[in-house]
Amino acid sequence: MTIERQRPVSDPIVIDDLEHLSFRVDRRAYTDDDLAAREMSRIFDRCWLYVGHESEVPGPGSYVARDVGGRPVVMARGSDGVIRVFANSCTHRGALICSQPAGQARSFRCPYHDWTFSNRGDLVGVPIPDGYGPGFRKADFGLAQHRSDGYRGFVFVTFDPEQPRTLTEYLAGATEYLDLIDDQSEVGMEVIQGAQLHGARANWKLMMENSVDIYHFRALHKRYVGYMESLGSVPPQRRGGFGCALGLGHGANELPPAAARPLAYWTPMFGTEVRPRIEATAARFVDRFGAERAERITGTNRAVLIFPNLMIIDAIAITIRKIDPVGAGQMAITSVALAPKDEDPDIRELRKSHYLTFLGPAGFATPDDIEIVESCQRGYLNRTVRYSDLSRGMNKKVPETTDELPAREFWRQWDRLMHGDDGHLEVAHRAETQGAEPR
Amino acid sequence: MTTELTVDEAAQVRLWHRVSQFLFREARLLDEWRLLEWYDEMLTDDIRYSVPATDVRGETADALGLIDDDAARLRQRIEQLLNGEVWCENPRSRTNRMISNVEILTDRGTHLDVAANVVVYRFGHGRSDSYVGKCRFELVVEGESFRVRRRVVVLDHETLYEHGKLSIIL
Repeated sequence: MTIERQRPVSDPIVIDDLEHLSFRVDRRAYTDDDLAAREMSRIFDRCWLYVGHESEVPGPGSYVARDVGGRPVVMARGSDGVIRVFANSCTHRGALICSQPAGQARSFRCPYHDWTFSNRGDLVGVPIPDGYGPGFRKADFGLAQHRSDGYRGFVFVTFDPEQPRTLTEYLAGATEYLDLIDDQSEVGMEVIQGAQLHGARANWKLMMENSVDIYHFRALHKRYVGYMESLGSVPPQRRGGFGCALGLGHGANELPPAAARPLAYWTPMFGTEVRPRIEATAARFVDRFGAERAERITGTNRAVLIFPNLMIIDAIAITIRKIDPVGAGQMAITSVALAPKDEDPDIRELRKSHYLTFLGPAGFATPDDIEIVESCQRGYLNRTVRYSDLSRGMNKKVPETTDELPAREFWRQWDRLMHGDDGHLEVAHRAETQGAEPR
Repeated sequence: MTTELTVDEAAQVRLWHRVSQFLFREARLLDEWRLLEWYDEMLTDDIRYSVPATDVRGETADALGLIDDDAARLRQRIEQLLNGEVWCENPRSRTNRMISNVEILTDRGTHLDVAANVVVYRFGHGRSDSYVGKCRFELVVEGESFRVRRRVVVLDHETLYEHGKLSIIL
């Protein structure tokens, strides 16, 4: 009989050493199936998770069906105009009550026995009802409704009835960044149709790290940098900006644009024809918000990580990236573009065009990100090197964008939740700088 | 007993044969990474190459896709692929394109609308993937041959979850 030597259970995954300015993550965090299962119960069953944007259910009766935290759900706007998130599972025997990814419905009918639910979740139809006794009440069999809430159009759900925080409390400092996104239109933002649905054979956390990692930009994305330089743009490298921790695992990078921004920041790569329109928009933002905040909304790039699995990147276009674990070694990625509802049609075309240049599974950058996270996952198969290092910027009061503070903030919250600490006290206990003061 | 082709049918068969040979050559150049030859000899100056998103599949006019290249961006894509800067295509993946169901939908004399099915097998970096799709070509007649002016590949996959990325030209 073989007795395998296992590491003691107290063996830490995250080694956060403020004294020696060292931050290491044991690579088991990316490969271990037990840890992946525990993430589902300790993180995805408890946190507020992004479901979608309210523009995806624009009118009464519209719905989307998708997986959130590994669970099939339906986000539906009822005939009463209220957005609800339901378990996509019939209360009778459990089949999906909605198998279309999106659409318009007054009711959802389970195909198994024709139980029918209104778009507000009430059970309204049961065939051959005389098979049930007097104790059977339809009111007991409505769709399971999850606790959901929205912040500036971003809809989240939590599967934890005991979740102590409201959504706004949970989002902590990230609300400021969602404000900077949603303030980009007076009539509201909308998701552009056409989702980029792809994935990677790597642990989901590698893509979260990658999405707030600007250090890799010049190395891995040489071809994109070359393309930008050919258009007269300056890629990021110590061009100012800062990385920050926003509390409760959220973090962000904020930096001057490397290229044009379709909202209201013109550079020659957009062509001279749209220049007056873009500059007029910029002027309207100054009128609405004052010069300083207008500059931050229109003339600054940002990448925001919302714990655990949402990334919003606002640069040459805005992408919302939802990254879902599928076991330890695989992830599913859903990326969509967000834009002002009232955008000029020519500028909308520029936005889409430049979105595709960089982003998505066939862009000039994202495919290399996919390949490199898969490469990391393969590298971990050689277990000799036990730790990954995420210490960049621990020596600075204000970490730069090429540092790793947002990723450390992610890992610190991950570590607290994996230890069953819901993180009430962590803000006071944090010793490391939060990054720059908001401007 | 054999049935003779009518003159009209014979002309159609010849045209279909020329179109098929053209598409087979295109597939071969792409498989052999002769991308500049493909770009220079088989496409028009105003080529548009697009791959719609797998959810809306090109049915929604204003939707975002996966690829929407004009000539300049396609040229950029090719140069990147050839100069080794595309990390996920270095070393180059091996591909094998199967073109079938070639059908000339409309013949407008100077332009043809052509449909075809395609399966692209891709092997590289320890992975094997297949991309399955329906192609629509707008071909401009140029003497005895053609140039591609519009090239749309509508993928049949629900998602690219298995593939992760689309780093080759389909």
